[in-house]
Amino acid sequence: MQLFVQQVVLGLLIGGVYVAVAIGFSLVWGILNIVNLAHGALVIVGAYLTWLLFARARVDPFIALPIVAVVLFAFGYALQRALINRVIRAPLFFTLLLTFGVNLVIVNALLVIFKSDFRSVTPSYSGSGFGVAGVQVPYIRLAALGVAGLVAAAVGWLLNRTRTGAAIQAVGADRDAARLVGIDLRHVYALTFAVAAACAGVAGGLISTIQAITPTAGEPYTLQAFVVVVLGGLGRVGATVVGGLVFGLVETLGQTMVPGLGAGWANAIAFAILVLVLIVRPQGLMGRIA
Amino acid sequence: MSASLPPSSSETIVVEGLRVLDRRRLRRLLLLAFALAAVLVLLAPLTATDQADSLGVPQLVDRSQIRILTTVAMFVVMASAWNLVGGLTGYSSFGNVAFFGLGAYTCAVAVDAHRLHLPMAVAIALAPLVPAAFAALVGLPLLRLRGHYFAIATLGTAVAVGEVVKNIDYLGGATGLFPPILHRADLLFLYLMVGAALLAVLVSRLILRSRFGYGLIAIRENEEAAGVIGVNTTAYKVGAFAVAAALTGLAGGVFALWNSFINQELGFSLDFNIQMILMAVLGGAGTLFGPVLGAVALELLIQNLAGRSDVAVYAQIGLGLLLAVTVIFLPRGIVAFFGGGSRLSLTHLRRSLRETSV
Repeated sequence: MQLFVQQVVLGLLIGGVYVAVAIGFSLVWGILNIVNLAHGALVIVGAYLTWLLFARARVDPFIALPIVAVVLFAFGYALQRALINRVIRAPLFFTLLLTFGVNLVIVNALLVIFKSDFRSVTPSYSGSGFGVAGVQVPYIRLAALGVAGLVAAAVGWLLNRTRTGAAIQAVGADRDAARLVGIDLRHVYALTFAVAAACAGVAGGLISTIQAITPTAGEPYTLQAFVVVVLGGLGRVGATVVGGLVFGLVETLGQTMVPGLGAGWANAIAFAILVLVLIVRPQGLMGRIA
Repeated sequence: MSASLPPSSSETIVVEGLRVLDRRRLRRLLLLAFALAAVLVLLAPLTATDQADSLGVPQLVDRSQIRILTTVAMFVVMASAWNLVGGLTGYSSFGNVAFFGLGAYTCAVAVDAHRLHLPMAVAIALAPLVPAAFAALVGLPLLRLRGHYFAIATLGTAVAVGEVVKNIDYLGGATGLFPPILHRADLLFLYLMVGAALLAVLVSRLILRSRFGYGLIAIRENEEAAGVIGVNTTAYKVGAFAVAAALTGLAGGVFALWNSFINQELGFSLDFNIQMILMAVLGGAGTLFGPVLGAVALELLIQNLAGRSDVAVYAQIGLGLLLAVTVIFLPRGIVAFFGGGSRLSLTHLRRSLRETSV
């Protein structure tokens, strides 16, 4: 029983990271109708920025997060405005190919700059935690879950309570109608992508404190973001939060509680869930039927 | 009779006729040149055999070039097969590498002395069957999905199948399988792979010109309308998926025997997965020779750049940039760009940009 509770806690904590990774991905997919294959690469850029600030300037990783967010915001805005806006009306596999190309460029540029060594951010409090009734809770993972919650709340507030958010949602709902009421499509698309990139950067910062990073470590995060968004349902921040937590739980419990399965099955479990959800309930756990 | 009269209609016909004739002749010449080049490329490796050496024939290609040619042929198969689903039917599959891996493992298990221990010819015959059966099975639920959802579900299937294979001991687990090494068999595998490539092109051509192919195109253009005019959309889509799986599996099977080693990373390589799509789109999705052209061009580029470890990273960056440029400026591929009526001009670039951007 105690083992079970421990695994549930760990699953939820890991789920927090998945929420942070998936929020930006969900935003771009929902509003721009683009599945961004470079999302994991943006996450890793965020992780390297955090590492750079920590290793070179001794900035605490959690203080570095806003800086990382601002840098990634600017990068995301430029990327969308210069490149992705050019194919936004093309058939979908063109956008997939373009973002895959961007992914290749970013990952290999990171390889040139940072080489393929493992890097990790290890502040003094990493590795420590507290225990409640024998269940261990690591501080950093708890903080990561907290930050993920903050990011989700901030994006939810932006989308639902601000004029900019209304414009973003309008563009997502009907591009041509949004243009007719005077919304600058290029700017709003770029803004959406920029917010998503900033979220990805923050997620990367969190990940750098939890595990070692390499330039090629981003790909699994793109795939996991897929699963989370499909699981929760496209289009709402709340759905992404639920999807991320459920995914973290199922993955952790599947690996430790089902006899015969181990860490090697993580991806197989994830994608089995994905395919099942797509076939049985394509709108996701929380989604509305489109 | 004034000088400003338009040219007589008969004159126009003659001019048009000349142009048509010219174009047809040009096309025939080009095809002839292409066929000649292909025959030369295919015969050249024969000069690398011992017999040719003892006869004093000058060696035209070396072993590494034979290896490159075999790889190019392998990608011709995969890109052409992807084209049947992604280009013709309009379902952008991101998981065709699953069929490659299944074909490779089928062959490897079939020839293994401790497993099925079948002759090589039987193993190669089995290689397309297992993936085709798998495609028919998963195709039924998967092909109900559309757009991004189909792309992701196929990708998920490929990754999941790879992971499952990796965790099954009978299939070699994480270590992989080692089909017996055949000595001095480069030429055998080259011709096997080229045979598979010719088969892929032939099958594509047959499909493109058939009722089946028109049905697939109808599905791509408007699936509901296709259903209304009597296309059995489910059967057609699953059929295309299974044919693509069979061809890709054949390439995988030959690859496993040729490489004498197969594991999850090789068999279900996400690089291969993306490369075949890129080749088909770069060359021209939905056309017969587009994927072939894309596969030859891109694979030669990759082999000549990425093989050198000192520039591999920059080659990858170049590949990424090429991808971006292709997608933005040549969304219909090389074939359409040079052949399909549009000319190499700034107007064309500007128009295709305007069509897709905001």
